[in-house]
Amino acid sequence: MPEIEKRSIEKTVYELSSQGRSTNLMPECDVPEAKLPVDLLHEDLHLPELSELDVVRHFIRLSQRNFCVDSGFYPLGSCTMKYNPKINEACARLAGFSQSHPLQPIDTVQGNLALMFELQEWLKEIGGFAAVSLQPTAGAQGELTALLMMRAYFRDRDETGRTQILIPDSAHGTNPASTTMAGFEALEIPSDEHGNLDLAALKAACDASVAGLMITNPNTLGLFERNIESIVRCVHNCGGLVYGDGANMNALVGAVRPGDLGIDVMHYNLHKTFGTPHGGGGPGSGPLGVSEKLASYLPGPMVCRLKNAEKSEPAEKIKPVYTLFTPEKSIGRMNSHFGSFGVFVRAYAYILQHGAEGLKQSALHAVLNANYLRERLRGIYPLSHDRTCMHEFVLQGKIEGSSVRAVDISKRLLDYGFHPPTTYFPLIVPEALMIEPTETESKQTLDAFADALKAIAQEAVDHPETLQTAPHATPVGRLDEVRAARKLKLRDDGLQIKL
Amino acid sequence: MPMFIKRVGFLINPIAGMGGRVGLKGTDGLADKARALGAEPVAQQRAKQTVDELLRLLSGASSISCLLLQWLTCSGDMGETVLQSAGVSANAFEIVHRIAGDPSAEDTRQAVQHFLKKQADLIVFCGGDGTARDICSVAGFDVPILGIPSGVKMFSGVFGANPAHCAEIIYAFLQDRLTTAQADVLDLDEARYRAGEWKVQLYQVALTPFEPKHMQSAKTLIEDIDETAIKDGIAEFLLEQFRCDASMLVLLGAGSTVKSVGDRWGIEKTLLGIDAVVNGELIGRDLNEQQILELLGKFKTRKLVLSPIGAQGFVLGRGNLQLSHTVIRAIGSQNIIVIATPTKLARTPVLRFDTGDAALDRELAANGFIRVITGYRRRRLVKTML
Repeated sequence: MPEIEKRSIEKTVYELSSQGRSTNLMPECDVPEAKLPVDLLHEDLHLPELSELDVVRHFIRLSQRNFCVDSGFYPLGSCTMKYNPKINEACARLAGFSQSHPLQPIDTVQGNLALMFELQEWLKEIGGFAAVSLQPTAGAQGELTALLMMRAYFRDRDETGRTQILIPDSAHGTNPASTTMAGFEALEIPSDEHGNLDLAALKAACDASVAGLMITNPNTLGLFERNIESIVRCVHNCGGLVYGDGANMNALVGAVRPGDLGIDVMHYNLHKTFGTPHGGGGPGSGPLGVSEKLASYLPGPMVCRLKNAEKSEPAEKIKPVYTLFTPEKSIGRMNSHFGSFGVFVRAYAYILQHGAEGLKQSALHAVLNANYLRERLRGIYPLSHDRTCMHEFVLQGKIEGSSVRAVDISKRLLDYGFHPPTTYFPLIVPEALMIEPTETESKQTLDAFADALKAIAQEAVDHPETLQTAPHATPVGRLDEVRAARKLKLRDDGLQIKL
Repeated sequence: MPMFIKRVGFLINPIAGMGGRVGLKGTDGLADKARALGAEPVAQQRAKQTVDELLRLLSGASSISCLLLQWLTCSGDMGETVLQSAGVSANAFEIVHRIAGDPSAEDTRQAVQHFLKKQADLIVFCGGDGTARDICSVAGFDVPILGIPSGVKMFSGVFGANPAHCAEIIYAFLQDRLTTAQADVLDLDEARYRAGEWKVQLYQVALTPFEPKHMQSAKTLIEDIDETAIKDGIAEFLLEQFRCDASMLVLLGAGSTVKSVGDRWGIEKTLLGIDAVVNGELIGRDLNEQQILELLGKFKTRKLVLSPIGAQGFVLGRGNLQLSHTVIRAIGSQNIIVIATPTKLARTPVLRFDTGDAALDRELAANGFIRVITGYRRRRLVKTML
């Protein structure tokens, strides 16, 4: 059993506050003083008063309690928490990238545009798509963008009766949420006993009201949709479009091209598949790849290479080679500038470093690691579906002879120094534990994780209360999640501003 | 360490389930006949399985050693005997109701009154739908109830899957890990059932422990946490669809899900009846077949909103017989809208229709799947079976 450290709760900045203490080194005011409206003035703001050292130590302590990929194994299913190579950070910090401004004249940022253009081209090739826009700044925004494009596509074809988006019951929760936001209605399609989309149900749903299908392949059970070609054909035959949720692209990258499977539009998660930071570590990025029929609806601006650029005389090479354009029927911008440029640099560096073969190897190793871990845990926890998995797999957090639940197992993993898997998702598997090890973890790490889960399974029988009261080695113990969800406390009581 | 006292009202219907073994369709009023046919009591044994498992769980949980469980029960076979045989110490339970003679439904109701007076946190009973009806006729919405399944008929949504599952639910509820949700209390008319007719009636809505399963993960659309919000979403979506036609007749079916739509619309919807709404105004309550047909003659456009009975999945033919095949044909199968929360569908995998008109049932069951509204602009394709 791991050693249990003494818990210490980090105080809030309000509790650390000491009256009169300040880091205030404001320069003398050198502009005319302006009076604020009376109703905005307060005598008693109750802001925390701390020295610079207090602030630095407070946030350093908090940061050291943050569990991250750099500090431990993070097998959060469908999140692809792979290692983010530091060389990508070094590239992103190059002055030409980090100190450019989105409103600079384009002839002064040709290097940045070249990088964006090449990234667009690479993503086209990787996914088998006709065009790519880098606009969306997250996976879910990519979903919304794609759905808005589908809406525009059907409006142009005078097919406004297509209001339904088909979504498998194993889908990410963002799929129906994006559907509703885009003004469509979500129709959930059940999975069959093998964990695949139920073809009979799909056929029953496909009619003239269908705008499209959102499908994740491999799905959130970590299983490859065996009938993907029939599924795509079925939707196309009724006039609908097929959207691919690229969240699980790490299982396919370099090996299978979604465009070749007939997917009309797909978002990439650069922050998953291409090793850029996510979660608290950095912004996301959800570029969209599309087939020819949707290319003219992509959001802009996109980057293109000027015609005849290759033929320029040496003396004219200072002329811009790359420029911005917006497709003819574009749905417009999805954000104010170009997307998450810093993420593009990191993803570009990642792809460049790996090359085509390296990308394929990463997908193969991701699948290998998941299957190795799955086999190590066979017989200890029930498998949701006993099939060869792709980059992730789903166990059930149930132990025969014990009343512990998935949440107890997840909390206990924290005591062993591991981040828990995605818990209670996908919704169609009771007590789901969804594990995605990624390709960047060693056999030793996978073995240590499997050993921990095995030990926890034994504890579940011998000392269930140890699990039910876990975690024990974290600064904060088991939280009352039911109460937290129902009685939200969204501000510190120390902040007593009269509103 | 502060002590927390939790009071559990514990009641056994000792004759529950006896009729099933000897081919009687229920035991209401037939206990003597069942005994004469050789039936053995089963409820005591099933109740003891739950108590044994609960005591095992409690003994292994150091985290709730500060929890003091106080049982409130009835004398003899209605609770006391089982608690004693399970090893519950005499000072951990209190007899709040003494039985004189053979236990009866009236004993059940009186016991529940005592449970309420003693401020029980939860009522655990062992029986079937009849027992559930008797309990919630007194308990109402004041205290959650949980049934250990032991009856011949268990259509209500207040039962655990089996005695061990019940123990886990009680254990989690005592630790404040569960919230409560509404569940339909249904029962079959036993006299008519014995005559070959299956008539399930919705009697009341009760509170029951509820597990918000889907708490975790930013990826998860947080559903099931708040049933009220989901029902509000369904009601809003229906309004959105009906708003465009002010002269449309909207018939609202029976049950708590449909009632919550009426609540959201601000109308006094009956719980068990079929009500009619036009342009947001209630124009008829608790309508019978003839009254519905008369209304259908007056309105060209019409919709019927129904929700299946949880678990068994009947959309028509159980608890809403006023919606006869004549009525359904007059409405038109394309005008039937089925609604259900994801939680209800999770335990209702298949939907059924039994209008008494086989051709109509086949039409309603469509090609093996129907679309059910499960939230705001959300539907689910659900299997149908004849």
